[in-house]
Amino acid sequence: MTSLSRIMLAGLGALLSATVAASAKTTIDFYFPVPVQGALAREMTRMVKEFNDASSDVEVVAAYTGSYDDTRLKTQAAVEAGKPPAVTLMSANFVQEFVISGEIEAIDDLLAENGGDPKTFLDDFWPALRGNATANSKIYAIPFQNSTPLVYINVGHFKEAGLDPTKPPATWAELVDAAKKLTKRDGDKITRYGFEMPGSYDYLGWLTQAFTMSNGGQFFNVTSPGEVYYDQPSTRGAVQLLHDLVFTHKVMPEGVIDPNQVSSDFFAGKASMVMLSTGSLSFIRNGAKFPYTVAFVPRNVRNAVPIGGGSLIVFKSITPEQRKAAWKFVTYMTSAESLGSWSRFTGYFAPRRSSYDLPEMKAFVAEHPDALIAVQQLAYAQPWLSTYNVVAVRKAIEDQVQAVLSGKKQADEAVRDAQKNADEILRPYNEKIAHVSGF
Amino acid sequence: MAKPLPSASARRGLKPFLLLLPSLIFLSVFTYWPVASIAVDSLFGRRLGEKVATFSGIGNYIRLASDPKFATAALNNLVYIGATVLPSIVLALGFALLLQRSSRFTAALRALLFFPTIIPLVGAAALWTFLFLPTVGLIDYYIGRLVPLSINWLGDPDTALASIAMVTVWKNAGYYMLFYIAALQTVPRELIEAALLDGAGAWQRLRHIVLPLLAPTTAFVAVIAVIQAITTVDHVIVMTKGGPDDATNLLLFYIFQTATELHDSGKAAAATVVTLVALFAVSTVGIRVLERGGRHAS
Amino acid sequence: MAAASAGAIGVIALLWSAPFLWMVVASLRPDSTGSLDIASLIPAWPPSLANFRLAWESADFLLNYANTLMVVAGTLAVQLVTISLAGYAFARLRFPGRDLVFYLFLLQLMIVPPVLIVPNLKTVTRLGIYDTLWGVMAPYWASAFGTFLMRQTFLGIPRDFEDAAEIDGCSLIQILRYVLLPLAKPALIAFAIVSVVSHWNEFLWPLMVIDSPSHRTLTLGLASFVSSGEGDAEWGVIAAGTLIVSLPLFAGFIAFQRQFINSFVMSGIK
Repeated sequence: MTSLSRIMLAGLGALLSATVAASAKTTIDFYFPVPVQGALAREMTRMVKEFNDASSDVEVVAAYTGSYDDTRLKTQAAVEAGKPPAVTLMSANFVQEFVISGEIEAIDDLLAENGGDPKTFLDDFWPALRGNATANSKIYAIPFQNSTPLVYINVGHFKEAGLDPTKPPATWAELVDAAKKLTKRDGDKITRYGFEMPGSYDYLGWLTQAFTMSNGGQFFNVTSPGEVYYDQPSTRGAVQLLHDLVFTHKVMPEGVIDPNQVSSDFFAGKASMVMLSTGSLSFIRNGAKFPYTVAFVPRNVRNAVPIGGGSLIVFKSITPEQRKAAWKFVTYMTSAESLGSWSRFTGYFAPRRSSYDLPEMKAFVAEHPDALIAVQQLAYAQPWLSTYNVVAVRKAIEDQVQAVLSGKKQADEAVRDAQKNADEILRPYNEKIAHVSGF
Repeated sequence: MAKPLPSASARRGLKPFLLLLPSLIFLSVFTYWPVASIAVDSLFGRRLGEKVATFSGIGNYIRLASDPKFATAALNNLVYIGATVLPSIVLALGFALLLQRSSRFTAALRALLFFPTIIPLVGAAALWTFLFLPTVGLIDYYIGRLVPLSINWLGDPDTALASIAMVTVWKNAGYYMLFYIAALQTVPRELIEAALLDGAGAWQRLRHIVLPLLAPTTAFVAVIAVIQAITTVDHVIVMTKGGPDDATNLLLFYIFQTATELHDSGKAAAATVVTLVALFAVSTVGIRVLERGGRHAS
Repeated sequence: MAAASAGAIGVIALLWSAPFLWMVVASLRPDSTGSLDIASLIPAWPPSLANFRLAWESADFLLNYANTLMVVAGTLAVQLVTISLAGYAFARLRFPGRDLVFYLFLLQLMIVPPVLIVPNLKTVTRLGIYDTLWGVMAPYWASAFGTFLMRQTFLGIPRDFEDAAEIDGCSLIQILRYVLLPLAKPALIAFAIVSVVSHWNEFLWPLMVIDSPSHRTLTLGLASFVSSGEGDAEWGVIAAGTLIVSLPLFAGFIAFQRQFINSFVMSGIK
């Protein structure tokens, strides 16, 4: 059975890759989070193939591993089994965790080996991205695709409601006001919502962090992976805003909204303003059959948003040849050209500033001003929630906000419970450090 | 196989053991040993980042008991059992009664009702995720036009569990229907005819003759449906991941999440032990009932 | 059958099949991304195979098919051996502790491998079969359900045939191979169908055991199809992918409808 399976797989490999020189190359696995059936997966396949064809000694096998959360699970499992992939595109805020468990390579070392300078490497990358890419003063991840939350606006609806689409809501108060004007009712039933945003895991935490930050606060202690600030006035205010949008102003649907529903409702004209990732920019651009514009996340105290997206990390327990191969692949993928091309295709913004100096990018941005606005918000972007056991800590607040959105809880109780649950999850880490530092 | 042995009776003694050996090896490695090992493991704890497990006695169980997520998962599972077993049985029986005569028409309909059983549950999950999608999904697209409801099936904690249950019922009712059809064919014609002569209507025949005779089948279907409801969470993993806000957290999903996301192996082991005890209790009760029913039916 | 109830059950069956109707119509619908009519059950004309092409290109369905086929075949092959031997032992042999061992077998019907993912994962890793198809198959090589089925079947076969063969000097293996198993063919086929379908559709255990995408089975491939999270699901392609995974099962069912139904019914009658 085993020899048969080996024969079959070898045969398939030959069919699919059609490179005779495959056996001379070092093969490395690359885990990539994306819905397998999407346009992004196809584009990534193309990019990887381009690299493989041009490379004489490296063969990258790309594997699609679902959502960011799923990719993390798969990668963890692979590491625990002793067979990690060489490279993974990991959610930018999961890097910290892998650093704590000691499983990924410091990019500093790889840079030093290959003639690069760790001190200046990140200079070309947007400042906002550096926080999530480093830990303990070393670089552990190279940003590949990044996003911030963005508000997408239906221009026609704005004009119809007497609002000026060139002056989108800049403050929370303006957002509520606009949403109220845009919401349409037919008796008791709402036929058009002024505002919608996803309430699913990963998305909700990110957007709630955005509102918390624009309310002057922060979700977590950026210098220590063991502390979160859920039960604070700024977080409470953000959660209260979400509650009010649904129940007080009645401009947003109740319950947890699936991201697919948000984009569908926007396309169908059932939602006038939606908050989604800049990563959906291309999807919205291609699917919206009406004029739309984009805007910053409104501020209450200040303009501030978390970055999102993924960075490339390299794992430790791989062979030296694989390590060299991984570095070659990572260098190719994070060149200004590659990052620029990926950015234009997806709507994520390019993590390197130099990408925007390239002629193709300049032309693209001139033609698509919405892409420029996403980049402009970067001036206000800050690191993403990143702690020990970050998914559980993130879900601690997400579960509570979901309860609030469904009318099951009030904001103050929700943030209190979120803090309590998060602290419990963080306790092992804090007990260990406290123990180690001798308190 | 059997080595040549001096006496015939010794050879006889060895034979059953050797025949059962292959099965017993696999059962021991993958069923008996894991049960023992998980009971032991539940007394140890290891967290994310730690390399060695430390003994914690009943610590894991205490943490389990004070974890609101576990209580929610257990309660949800009870509700979920009721929400899947009862409708499945009612529908299965109803379908069987309507389709008990064999004809090309009924054969075709039986096939249609049975189709959901043969596809993977993750396939059913993919289809129903779309059905449940507000605005663009199938349910809202067709029914949403006639009736002004806008239910966020999977996104509203009040309806999420019922929605998951719906997928399960859709998947299994056709399967249970087959058991009822087979059982209905064993109902003696004389009893029915006697009842008809007595002037009994369809409902009375059903209540007083058919249903009692079907009791063993109902007990059987109930047992496998309950076991299904505890041991199958594919759709939760793909559709809701336990959410929103733990509304669809079930025992096995809790175990899955605690082990793979929270890396809390001690707590996951404790939860597994509790689930196994529940399963054992259900099966023992079920088998008792079936045995008693078997004695009655003869 | 009364026209009213025939109509009623007909409508119910149609509604029951709505998800499948949608799956077929949506998979053939061209240009469905972002479309507001993807839910429509009215087929688009002309139908397009684009979604199938995209689905096929996106996932390694060929690889997934190979893996699933190997898993169902490998599982069944070993199961046939273990259940025949054990079923014979329970049916024909008397030995001390037989009832106890029988009940021990019974345990496996409810303590199914997915519940034991935590300890079984450790076992599989220790045995060195983590992330292999062997690891997916191994927990199922003993089958309580199959053993019971064979036991029942053998009990129903008169001993005359075996006695005659024994007098002729046949060994146990020969008796099983040439006398009993051929007579038990309907039960074996029934078991095979139930086993193949249930392992084709298995998800949680393979999810835990399999890591490399090159070892993924069809269900794992399909699941990664559906987990989006960014809100850009292409439903037409998802429908096509689901169809690709389920098609052999549908085809098998339609071809062997009677055996299918009989085997699933038999799975309950012990």
